[in-house]
Amino acid sequence: MAKRVLIVDDAQFMRELLRDIFEQAGWHVVGEAENGKRAVEQFQLLKPDLVTMDIVMPLRSGIDALSDIIAAKPDARVVMCSALGQESMMMEAVKAGAKDFIVKPFQPEQVLRIAARAML
Amino acid sequence: MDMSKFKAMFLTESAEHLRSMSTLLTALEGQPQNREGIDALFREAHSIKGMAASMGYERMARLAHHLEDTLDGFRKQGEISPAAVGRLLSGVDLLEDLREDISDNLPERDIAEFIEQGSDHPAVAGEQTPEPPAAGGALHVALSLQDNVVAPAVRLLLIVKQLEVLGAVEQLSPDLEELSAAGRDHRQLQLRLKTGLTPRDIEQAFADYPEILQLRVAATAPDATTRGQDRRRDDRRQGDRRQQGVAGATVRVDTALLDRFINLTGELVTNRHRLQTALGAQNWRELNEGLGQLGKLVQSLHGQVLQVRMTPVGSITERLPRVVRDLCRKNGKDVQLLIEGAEIELDRTILEEMADPLMHLVRNAVDHGIAEQGTIQLRIWRERSHVQIQIQDDGRGIDPQKIRQRAVEKGLLSARQAQALRTAEVLQLICRPGFSTTEQVTETSGRGVGMDVVKAAVEKLGGILLIDSTLGRGSRITMQLPLSVAIIRVLLLECDGKLLALPLSRILQTRQIERQELRRSGKQLLIQLKDETLPLLSLRKILGMPVPPAAARISLVVMKLFGRKVGLAVDRLVGHREVFVKKLPPPFDRLRGSNGGAVLGDGQVVFILDVQSFLERRR
Repeated sequence: MAKRVLIVDDAQFMRELLRDIFEQAGWHVVGEAENGKRAVEQFQLLKPDLVTMDIVMPLRSGIDALSDIIAAKPDARVVMCSALGQESMMMEAVKAGAKDFIVKPFQPEQVLRIAARAML
Repeated sequence: MDMSKFKAMFLTESAEHLRSMSTLLTALEGQPQNREGIDALFREAHSIKGMAASMGYERMARLAHHLEDTLDGFRKQGEISPAAVGRLLSGVDLLEDLREDISDNLPERDIAEFIEQGSDHPAVAGEQTPEPPAAGGALHVALSLQDNVVAPAVRLLLIVKQLEVLGAVEQLSPDLEELSAAGRDHRQLQLRLKTGLTPRDIEQAFADYPEILQLRVAATAPDATTRGQDRRRDDRRQGDRRQQGVAGATVRVDTALLDRFINLTGELVTNRHRLQTALGAQNWRELNEGLGQLGKLVQSLHGQVLQVRMTPVGSITERLPRVVRDLCRKNGKDVQLLIEGAEIELDRTILEEMADPLMHLVRNAVDHGIAEQGTIQLRIWRERSHVQIQIQDDGRGIDPQKIRQRAVEKGLLSARQAQALRTAEVLQLICRPGFSTTEQVTETSGRGVGMDVVKAAVEKLGGILLIDSTLGRGSRITMQLPLSVAIIRVLLLECDGKLLALPLSRILQTRQIERQELRRSGKQLLIQLKDETLPLLSLRKILGMPVPPAAARISLVVMKLFGRKVGLAVDRLVGHREVFVKKLPPPFDRLRGSNGGAVLGDGQVVFILDVQSFLERRR
């Protein structure tokens, strides 16, 4: 069965881009969320195998949402998405339980490799 | 972080690991050189240690660590000594006690004595390595990242975390604080990894990391490359794939099953639109088809919800070999327990209810059934919509004459009644409450401890208990259980204008008789059914409803009450239904006489009667 991913990003463009990358590789995109609050709700509802999580978002940041998700499901697989220059936030995310991170601009093979690795 | 919400999960999971340890140890006693068994045991102890430590249960973690060390010694020897199995089992018992302390919010009990005992008996504790464990089995790991890696310090931290999954990380350089300090771009890392894995295993674990420029792993202890070569990552994963446990209120569900739920929900939404559209267009044919589809979807949903609740019988049988072993030790007996069909699945509520009765039956078979040496067979199989659990021993069997005698002594029967009973009926007597209350009685009857409890448990679930025994050849007890308790078939009937339900599993037959067929013996009305004469009871009377003069035709339900067949007169038989049983909310759940309620298709609420408990209350 196809692996199920939830895409979280406040930019629709980014969500579309990631959706394309995942769908072309045979993943099943089960949902999208445009802010951290919605991300947690969607995670509880859809129980995806993997979440890609933007860091800077309105309502609740990606790191807050990550903490909520990890608290609810300690072995949740969350991969952070961030821009260059956000090292300290990524470090915080990894300490909070993020499985890995991908850096914008996304390269499809990089996204897929890290997603696959996070699934191990 | 608030750990209290993980406590329930910890309790459930640790119980699973402990059960598994008991099972593995009992099996190892017969095959002391089973390496896979020893490895699996080691992993279980390791898991418990990790879980307990992360929850902050220090003594439990320390004891698990102690057992893990002991087991590590046996892993090197490739063999476990029989004397050690006993000690390890005591250790598992102590871990279970600690788990209970934690569950009851008590301070963890003392474990120092147990651990000291171990160090006094090196032969039992397993061969100690000359070096402390920290020195043996440690690997030196050095790595560097590619130049173009983004956020290298974060990448290194992730790699350290990955290594922590594979073993214990020590002497990390740069350390975590330096790594996470802002503005420092570390690209290299060195550490010691205490692990049972080989350097190759570590390299393989990082095979898919193009971010790594160079990875060097070397053994720091001479035996590090040879030991634990059979412990690959795949093995570890298998060890993590545990059986579902029945303990606790959590249940693990296959994610594939959850996917199906989501799909079904989607289909239900589509169906709703279809029905809405059809209704709007007043397209009755379409509406009808849509309803048909809805019926199928609901049925499928029901099937899958039940599937979530299904758990293999193995989850309650896996502790039995240990029970048999301990009893044999105590009584100097030699009993073999054969279990067949542990993979059969049953509703977890049923399994929870059956765990203790099953233990009773196995204990009884060892204690009272088998004299010195024998075999107990536990067979589980499915038969249509039921599951049969049968436990058979080749021991002494039950002496019906002794039971008759006992029943007369107890005043349960007169001597004449006792002699008139057939053997099959006599055997049922051992399930009478209070039939055997002392140990001495169970010695003479061969069985008896808690048989009333066993029978009550089976019948509460809508099941049937059958006892079969031949003197000198052994006994066989069969429990026929429904696959699930939530949905049952009932017979609807009417009494004084009220609709009531009786579980179909309790009913032998229904029929109508003419009033002139009734006979009378003293105050008791009797009915003749083929060659049997049964007492006739009035459900109205039992329920305290007004009793009008008997009609010309009487509707009857034939069922067993207190082990006797009786006819139950009701006003009207309405028909069969499949209903979803809902428990009554407190305090009504404590009322006897009803097993719960159900809502019928037309919204009517019916109570499901338990006539026997109703009568018990009045006795």
